[in-house]
Amino acid sequence: MKTASPKSIRQLWQGQLVPFVPYIAITVIFIILPPLLPSYLQSIMAKILIFSIFAMSLDLLMGYTGLISLGHAAYFGMGGYTIGILMTRYGINSFWIGAPCGILMATLVAAVFGIIALRVSGIYFLLVTFALGQLLFSVAVKWYSVSGGEFGLGGILRPALGIPWFSWNATSFYYFVFLAFAICFFLLYRLVKSPFGHALQGIREGEVRMRVLGYNVWLYKYVTFIVAGAFAGTAGVFFAYHNGIMVPSHLGVITSGLVMLMVILGGLGTLYGPIIGVAVIIIMEFYAGIFAPERWPLILGVTFVVAIMCARAGIGVYLSVFWKRASLIWKQ
Amino acid sequence: MDVFVLNMLNGVSFGFILFLLASGFSLIFGVMGILNLSHGALYMVGAYVGWTIAVKYGLNFLFAALMGGLAAGLISLAMERGFFSHLYKQLNEQVLLTFGFIYILTNISMWVWGPIFKAPFTAPFLSGSFNFMDWSYPKARVATILIGLILAIGLWWLQDKTRVGAIVRAGMDDKEMTMALGVNLGLVSTALFFVGSFIAGFAGVIGANLLGVNLGLGMDVLLLALAVVIIGGVGSIQGALLGSMVIGIIDAFGKALFPELAMFTIYLVMIIILLVRPSGLLGRRV
Repeated sequence: MKTASPKSIRQLWQGQLVPFVPYIAITVIFIILPPLLPSYLQSIMAKILIFSIFAMSLDLLMGYTGLISLGHAAYFGMGGYTIGILMTRYGINSFWIGAPCGILMATLVAAVFGIIALRVSGIYFLLVTFALGQLLFSVAVKWYSVSGGEFGLGGILRPALGIPWFSWNATSFYYFVFLAFAICFFLLYRLVKSPFGHALQGIREGEVRMRVLGYNVWLYKYVTFIVAGAFAGTAGVFFAYHNGIMVPSHLGVITSGLVMLMVILGGLGTLYGPIIGVAVIIIMEFYAGIFAPERWPLILGVTFVVAIMCARAGIGVYLSVFWKRASLIWKQ
Repeated sequence: MDVFVLNMLNGVSFGFILFLLASGFSLIFGVMGILNLSHGALYMVGAYVGWTIAVKYGLNFLFAALMGGLAAGLISLAMERGFFSHLYKQLNEQVLLTFGFIYILTNISMWVWGPIFKAPFTAPFLSGSFNFMDWSYPKARVATILIGLILAIGLWWLQDKTRVGAIVRAGMDDKEMTMALGVNLGLVSTALFFVGSFIAGFAGVIGANLLGVNLGLGMDVLLLALAVVIIGGVGSIQGALLGSMVIGIIDAFGKALFPELAMFTIYLVMIIILLVRPSGLLGRRV
C-alpha cells in the first residue's frame, strides 16, 4: 500500500473533493450556521426547509412524472388544517398523534382526488387538480365551525414531543424541521433513484412506450400522486407548527401557484432544484414584505414570466452546470 | 312571480355571462392549445375599464362595454405576440405563463383602481324592471340574455357556417395538415385570441350588473369558466353554451335552495361529469 504523498493528496483534493464542495457549503449553511443567526433568520430558514419538502413533493409529480398539478396545496393545507383542528378543537397537542393524523388525512384526500384527476391527462389534469384544490378552499371558507372560515384557524402552538427537559426556541425548532427535511429528502432521493423512480421518468418521456412495455401506467401515476400528497401533507404539518395559523388560501391556488413557481424557478426533475427555487422565492418574499408588500404579487408574476421565458431549465440546474464547468477548469 | 321561472331566468342570464366568458376560453384552448388561465383576469380588466368609462366618467354604457372588450383584447394581443409566440409548441410553459399573468394583471388593477370593490352598475336605460301583468323582471338581466343569445348565434354561425370557422375547426383537428394546405393558421389563431379575449372583456362590463367589479373576480370567473369547459367539453360553441346553461341554472337553484353550499353544487356536478364522461357532454376529445 502506498502512503499518500503531498502530490497525491492534492490530486485527491482536486479529483475527489472538489465535486463535494457544494455539499460541504450546503452542510455549513444548513447545519452549522443557523444557531449563529438571529432568530428571525432561523425562522426564515425553517420556512425554506418546510417549503422545500413541499416543493420536492410537487417536483415528484411535475418534474419526474410529468403530471402538472395546480392544486397541490390541497394536501399541504389538509395536513396543516388537521394539526390545527386537533389542537384548537380537541386540545391534542402531541406531535406523535398530530403529525401521523395530518399526514394520513393529506394522503386520504390525495387518494380520493387522484382517482378523479387521473381520469384525464395532459392539460386537463392541471385543470381538474386546480378545481379540486379550490373545492377544498371553498369548504374551508364555508365550514366555519371546523375550519374557522376565512379568518382561519389561529393559535396553533409548537407541538409537545413528550421529552421532559425539552423546550422550544427558534434554534430547537429549526433543527426539528431540519430533521424532518433530512428524512424526507432521503426518502424522496431513494424513491427517485429506485426502479420505481426510473419508471416514472419513463412515463414522463413516453407514456405509450411504457404501457407497451407492460407497465401499469395508471397505477404508477396514482401511487406517485398519493406519495406526493403524503409529502405535501408532511410539509403542511410542519408549516402549521411554524406559522401558528392556517387560512383557506393555504389550501387554494395561491399556495399551489407559489410552490409551482418555486419548482419551475429551481429546476424541474431534480431534487436540489426546488430547494434553490424555494430559497430564492422566500428570501424575495421577505424583502418584498419590508420594501413593497403591496407589489409582492406583481413581483411574483413577473418572476413567473421571467422564469419561464428566460430560465426554463431552472436556476438549480444552471448552478450545477456552472459548478461542473468551474470544477473542470479548476482541475486543469 | 313563480319562483321556478324566476330562478330559471336568473340561471339563464347568469349562464349567458358565463357563455360569453367560456366561449372564447374554449375556442382558444381548442385551436391554439393554450389554456389561458388569465382569461378571468382579462374579464376583470374589462370590467374595471367599463366601470371607469360608464360610472366614473358617466359615458355611454355600450361604448364602455366595447372599450372594456378592446382593453382585454389588446392586452391578450400583447401577451400573444410578446410571449406565447416565443414558446411555440410548448403548451405547458404557455399555460404556466398565463398563470403568472393573473398575478400581474390583478396587482396592476389594484394599483390603478384601488383595493375597494366597485358596486354593480348597468346602463341607465337598463336599470329598473319590466312589468308584465303581475310579473316583474330586471331589464338588465333581460338585456344580458338577449346579448348572450345574439352572440351565441353569431359565434355558432361563424364557427359552423363560414370559411373562418372551417379553418378554426380544421386547426383543432389537424394543425399540420391545415397549415400544409396553405392556410395561415397563425393569423387565424392570433385573431381568435383577440376576439375571444375581446368577448371576455365585453362580458366583464355586461356582467358587472350581476357580479360587480372586484379584484377576486379574475380567479372566481376563471373557476366558473373551467367548470363550463369541463362540463360542456372543449372547442365547440354548443358545448360552451350547454355547459354555461347547466352551471348558470345549477348556480341559481343552488343559491335559492341550499344557500350554504354555494359553489359546492357546481363542483359536485363537475366531478360527476368527470367520472362519467371525462371529455365533457359535447366535447371533441380529451
